[in-house]
Amino acid sequence: MSVLALCLAGPLQAWGSSARFARRTTENVPTKSGVLGMLAAAQGRDRAADVSDLAELRFGVRVDQRGTRIRDFQTAHHTETGNAMPVSERFYLADAVFVAGVEGDGDLIAALHRAVRSPVYLPYLGRRSCPPSRPVDIGAFDGTDAVLEDVFRSVEWQAAEHHRRRRSGERRVALPVFMDAAEGDREKNSRRDLPVSFDPRHRRYALRDVKADTVEVPNPTHRAPAAPSHHDPMPPLGGD
Amino acid sequence: MTRTILDLHVLQTVPPSNLNRDDTGTPKTALYGGARRSRVSSQAWKRATRAAFAELLAPEELGVRTKRVAEFVAERIHELDDSIDRSEALALAAETVKAATGSKIEVPKRKSGKKTDDGASEPPAPQSSYLMFLSAQQRDALAQLAVKGRADIKAFFKDKDNKEEAKSSANTRHSVDIALFGRMVADGADINVDAATQVAHAISVHAVENESDYYTAVDDRRKDEEPGAGMIGTVEFNSATLYRYAALDVDRLAANLGRGLRDGEEPTTPVRRAVEAFVEGFVDSMPSGKINTFGNHTRPEAVIVKLRGTRPVNFVSAFEQPVVADVGSGYLRKACERLADHISQIEEAYGTHADTTTWVLRAGANTEPLAGLGAESSMGELVESVGRAAADRQAETA
Repeated sequence: MSVLALCLAGPLQAWGSSARFARRTTENVPTKSGVLGMLAAAQGRDRAADVSDLAELRFGVRVDQRGTRIRDFQTAHHTETGNAMPVSERFYLADAVFVAGVEGDGDLIAALHRAVRSPVYLPYLGRRSCPPSRPVDIGAFDGTDAVLEDVFRSVEWQAAEHHRRRRSGERRVALPVFMDAAEGDREKNSRRDLPVSFDPRHRRYALRDVKADTVEVPNPTHRAPAAPSHHDPMPPLGGD
Repeated sequence: MTRTILDLHVLQTVPPSNLNRDDTGTPKTALYGGARRSRVSSQAWKRATRAAFAELLAPEELGVRTKRVAEFVAERIHELDDSIDRSEALALAAETVKAATGSKIEVPKRKSGKKTDDGASEPPAPQSSYLMFLSAQQRDALAQLAVKGRADIKAFFKDKDNKEEAKSSANTRHSVDIALFGRMVADGADINVDAATQVAHAISVHAVENESDYYTAVDDRRKDEEPGAGMIGTVEFNSATLYRYAALDVDRLAANLGRGLRDGEEPTTPVRRAVEAFVEGFVDSMPSGKINTFGNHTRPEAVIVKLRGTRPVNFVSAFEQPVVADVGSGYLRKACERLADHISQIEEAYGTHADTTTWVLRAGANTEPLAGLGAESSMGELVESVGRAAADRQAETA
């Protein structure tokens, strides 16, 4: 088995799973359909192309920096008729950083890694107006350590400088991960983000079971808290 | 295949303004690097770019103007499916163009059949009664429809959806626009065109707090027994040095537009003209929000354009840590220093491809840190040389 790790970072991201019509919401973490769609696009697959091989990949996300949700208000007019279209709300995750990983057959992972490095359709973070601010590929891992959980333990914490500084007191940081659940996992939630077809005429998604967990990674900016300095304002004032 | 990707980076300062507001009238913002930034949404700047683009490039430049539309489409039908012979292809093409434009396509009265090599006379091709304009992309779309409805073309266009599809295929303004920007509002026929450009939300390079302007307005016909203002209110605004980013997939654009069709023109002419118009349109446009109130007609102080064979790179991380202004220094100089540092660091870390070309347009002493990053050009030179370089690369890959 091999694993491809991706860094999803940018000022704005949007990962919708039940986002339709005029209210386009976003989940708190990248969806499997969003990430697989980005990979399929990088390979240059058509929207109507078969993506069942990608859907079989084991998928997981690590939350390196949660970000905040912002709401964008949008109006549009039809170019031909000038008619006003329904006012829409679009939600984004601002200032978030994720590491997403897919695990599967070595040849497919290698092909996806090549595609991510020279994509046919340009990658974006869930919505076309959200280009990534860093290179997307962290790298492909194969060999014995190529299990998604291990990769999530070994990839360096990707959070931004300002965010790391805030947690500089912690030697190791615990980061939430959301994995495809295995058979027999008890604690799981379902989410409708397993792509069956990206065909714009009838997009179809199946349910996916997700298991929440945490991994600990070392904090590269960790500093031991400084000893309190001894400060005595009295001596300069003289006297006894 | 070598790829051709263009990325554009713009630093632009706007005075107090409200370019893009939400439903409460507040200028849009976003959090980035832990600080609140002024934001102008991609759709707002894309609309301004689209309007500028339409002024800069007439769609007629990207195709041919002819009465012989039936022949023109029929040739393409035959290329798509060579089991369709000339006369059938002509009949299909005539019906399709008729459905698309509603105009008559008939054999001109005074024409007798052309003499072919073997002396037999070919039936003359039907023509439209006036000059019609078609781009390569429209010709393709119409030919594909004709092949699809081959079995019974008249019945095929009785179907409302098919007729709609033909109509929107022949709508030129629409087709050039869609090739570049994709669809903002979904219509059936253009659902399969993927936009060639990506535009990011513009954000300020520094932290911003919105301010509000309290105003009173006087009623000019007020009677003296009613003192006081005619109305009062507030307008919110901010001022910002914005980082704007767009990427253009030139290969995708070329595929969406098709090749040049006119005699004596390069096949890459449509893509060159569209690239030129896009660069100029994106750099020099301004969303119109509250512009009469604030008159914020500024032009970018700095523009960096890179043409690459690999995926585009967004330099927004240069400003992830918000720029802080010293007293009397403003933001622009520091933003330029940051951007120059960031570009060289990224390129050192990831390497640069030999075939990356960079252009820099800058104005004023504050943009000096960007000098030397690429070929310094004026707007006219920039537009022309970027267009030429993109077209030359297309010619190599074609």
